[in-house]
Amino acid sequence: MKELIKKLVEVSSPSGREDSIRETIINELEGYVDEYRVDAIGNLIVRKAGSAENPKKILLDGHADEIGVVITNIDKDGFLRIDPVGGVNPLMLLGAVMRFRSKSDGSVIRGIVSFESETARDLQNNYKNPSFDNLFLDIGATSKPDAQEKVSIGQFGTYDAGFIDQGKRLISKAMDDRIACAIIVQLFRIIENPVNDLYGVFSVQEEVGIVGASVAGYDIMPDMAIAIDVTGNSDTPKGFKRMDLQLGKGPAIKIKDRASISDRKVVDALMEAAEENNIPYQPEVLIFGGTNAHGYQLTRSGIPSGTLSIVSRYVHSPHEMVDYDDVINAVELLKRVVEKKS
Amino acid sequence: MYLKELSEIRGVSGNEVRVVTFLKEMIKELPVKPDSIKEDHLGNLMCLRKGKDSTKTAVLMAHTDEVGLMVTRIEEDGRLLARPLGGVDTRVMLGKRVLIGDDDIPAVISYKAIHNQKDPLKSPPRWSDIKIDTGLGDKKTVEKRIQIGDTISFDTRFEEYDNRYVGKAFDDRAGCSMLLRMMHEMEETPEHNIVFAFVVQEETGLRGSGMVLKHFHPDAVLVIEGTTAGDNPELKEARWSTHLDNGPAVNYLQGGYAIDRRLFEVVLQTARENKIPFQLKGRTVGSTDTSRTARSFYGAPGAVVNVPSRYIHSPVSVMSKTDFENTYKLARAVINNKNFVRVSYDPKTRGA
Repeated sequence: MKELIKKLVEVSSPSGREDSIRETIINELEGYVDEYRVDAIGNLIVRKAGSAENPKKILLDGHADEIGVVITNIDKDGFLRIDPVGGVNPLMLLGAVMRFRSKSDGSVIRGIVSFESETARDLQNNYKNPSFDNLFLDIGATSKPDAQEKVSIGQFGTYDAGFIDQGKRLISKAMDDRIACAIIVQLFRIIENPVNDLYGVFSVQEEVGIVGASVAGYDIMPDMAIAIDVTGNSDTPKGFKRMDLQLGKGPAIKIKDRASISDRKVVDALMEAAEENNIPYQPEVLIFGGTNAHGYQLTRSGIPSGTLSIVSRYVHSPHEMVDYDDVINAVELLKRVVEKKS
Repeated sequence: MYLKELSEIRGVSGNEVRVVTFLKEMIKELPVKPDSIKEDHLGNLMCLRKGKDSTKTAVLMAHTDEVGLMVTRIEEDGRLLARPLGGVDTRVMLGKRVLIGDDDIPAVISYKAIHNQKDPLKSPPRWSDIKIDTGLGDKKTVEKRIQIGDTISFDTRFEEYDNRYVGKAFDDRAGCSMLLRMMHEMEETPEHNIVFAFVVQEETGLRGSGMVLKHFHPDAVLVIEGTTAGDNPELKEARWSTHLDNGPAVNYLQGGYAIDRRLFEVVLQTARENKIPFQLKGRTVGSTDTSRTARSFYGAPGAVVNVPSRYIHSPVSVMSKTDFENTYKLARAVINNKNFVRVSYDPKTRGA
């Protein structure tokens, strides 16, 4: 499955610009789904029919987009100003390489970020209080026209950081949320005879405000929706002390975060399936953040929704780390859930 | 069209009824009437012009509300306390004239005398420091004319200076004015269905627009807005949002929604083909109703064109007449463009 993960995380598709990742996923799922379609706002919806007489609908969601930046200005010397697409901490950009696609020939344009400073004190202050108002992006352009040939205002880009395989631990940009996309693709590949109708939703624009989920939920009207997403961790030096989330202790079954409280029936279904099949899991209460479960829970007459999380380190940085066993166990757990007769 | 009237009408969020009443009167006068007119419980007004191709629908949207205040308490001495509806900074309120309630009672916003303040300009006054003075008398007298919950709007005359419009509520009566004019000038049957949607309560959190998708299933939504200029010369140009006289401003990213790539490209292409100048909005904060329509019901992709407007969300804003005209031209060309309602997600298309 590592090859699949590598393929998906290395695609550059920030919120609202999910075309490439959608195409990649469709290719990866070729032959494994009964049907697929793309809705009005760009959600990719795939389906595999269930064998039950009156099958229920189970929806698994992984958001297709990733955080990124957008070009807001090109100055007279060819330096760029950028704004965040989703929750990007400007601190993360220092030393990061960003990538865009060239307007003229489609090649990859890379740029690096630095901070404005007219004095040493300015520089210190800007390092201490990094803001999109005091940083700029340098694509190595020699002039404004040179920059304009390569990029344009309104163009979206992402981190340029590839997949690193450390054996048990995997590192890349966009683990959030391509790891979920990979889990869903893998599940569709291995599941042969689901009891219930299985829907996979590769939703758009989660990072800018949970846009895709409510539309997909309204459209499909599932009996249960499970968002799959990354979550925080507490297992790094001086890590969060109010939470207990560790890499390698199994997928996390979310009870609550800042945006939703999981439907208890969904939580129970996940925990029971884990216990019956001896799959490790960890209960999760996240003191910040939110997932697409929020969108599903608030559409139609309130879809029973929950989240299965992959504990991650350094979320929204260019190098997000997950545990490979957690990923394998998440696939196994979801397989058991959707195969279970209800 | 009717920009003066629309700018001067009072219609703070949640109390847009005068704006909608005016619009309905004007719609009665149209040379070609809409095929249907719908009003919903929230107060949204939707007018459908059926197209030659009735399988495709574009929604053209503007919001009827404006930012303002609401009375929250009447003090014993008769002065009022208020809270903002929409994004209003206390600093733009001090000493301004306002109108209150259904009877348009005039008042002035008072504030602690400058010589009594320790650090008058260091921090913005809090809403609890802002008292509104009607001069009517004590609490008992005031209560006969004003109730808690009455809306308060800026009292600003519409004016024209050279190439400038000056007035209040250009966000978004500029859009309302353009929708009305487009309905007026649309004598022939449009190519596809066009819904002119005047929506409520944008300023308090995009609350009205989503419901339009309960009644229509649009292929695309175009919002016309009055937006921030922020082009003060003392700021670096890279930090301006938009610049007056540079043409309509087009959004690509905003709070809660990345503008649909395909529609964004249709807007730019339409501008180029029609030789309409445009600028790309330099700031991505703030939101428009497309953030709501994208995620409502079955969803619809959206795009935004704006008239740059200085000092927005204050008692007085300034727009460029040529920007206004060009925004109208661009919106009209886009909404009638066949490609605008024919975007589809070809999975084989690689994006930007």
